[in-house]
Amino acid sequence: MKENQIQIYLRKLKSQLWLRGIADRDDLAEIESHLMEAVERGLGQGLNLEEAESRALERFGSVKVVVSTFEKERKDVMQNILLAVAVLAGLFSAYVDASPNWDDTGILAGGLLLVSGLLTLLGHRKPWLIALAVGIWIPLHDIYLSHDFSLLLVLLFPLVGAYGGWLARMGIRKTLHPA
Amino acid sequence: MIGEALKGHLDLLLLAILADEPAHGYAVIESLRMKSQGTFDLPEGTIYPALHRLESQGLLHSSWSEDSARRKRIYRLTPKGQQTLAKRQEEWKNFSNAINATVGI
Repeated sequence: MKENQIQIYLRKLKSQLWLRGIADRDDLAEIESHLMEAVERGLGQGLNLEEAESRALERFGSVKVVVSTFEKERKDVMQNILLAVAVLAGLFSAYVDASPNWDDTGILAGGLLLVSGLLTLLGHRKPWLIALAVGIWIPLHDIYLSHDFSLLLVLLFPLVGAYGGWLARMGIRKTLHPA
Repeated sequence: MIGEALKGHLDLLLLAILADEPAHGYAVIESLRMKSQGTFDLPEGTIYPALHRLESQGLLHSSWSEDSARRKRIYRLTPKGQQTLAKRQEEWKNFSNAINATVGI
């Protein structure tokens, strides 16, 4: 069955909001309800279905404009949540690294890389900040204890992960919306 | 130009409209357009994020209504929203008086 203009619009909007980690089922239901009401009003004013849908979408604003407004309104909250998760994950990794029975550096490095990648993939816009928030705690602990700065190299893992996740998100966005 | 100027005052306008009575987004937008006689004609989709932000700040409360054929999310002012509205109205009154006095209206 062929999608109508409203369904196409909602699908695009949903994917764009999802990519930015700000999709919410209630928000989308509310927008769908709004558009359906606008179409009904248009039909009531004598427009045909296609005209009513076009006018409803025109008045609602393009996907780009609406997504950008959602992003501006919510970015601080979402960005702060992701940053807080990064800090907690980093502190946890430092705690694990400092425990006497832990000696698997490979798993820890892989964990730092994966967590950083996931957080930027989910929508954090500053890969360097995520990398720092996740990876700084292990070197800081060692610098504090032994003044050993060599472990700053550990930051390479979250940096690679964070920029990898960020690039993947850009790639997904470009694939879904080439324009 | 009007759109840009409006952005800084959108919260006040939305709170003032919802002070009259609880309403869903579509009705809020209609009311904004009608009361301003078409001057405040923003893309409708840009109003929802502002309503959601006001709700997250505790100034509005929303609930879903099943009364009509379609589910609607109804927004209403909270007590904190009423206090904020009164404060913003006072600020706006002082501000607009000062502007009017300066430009000679």
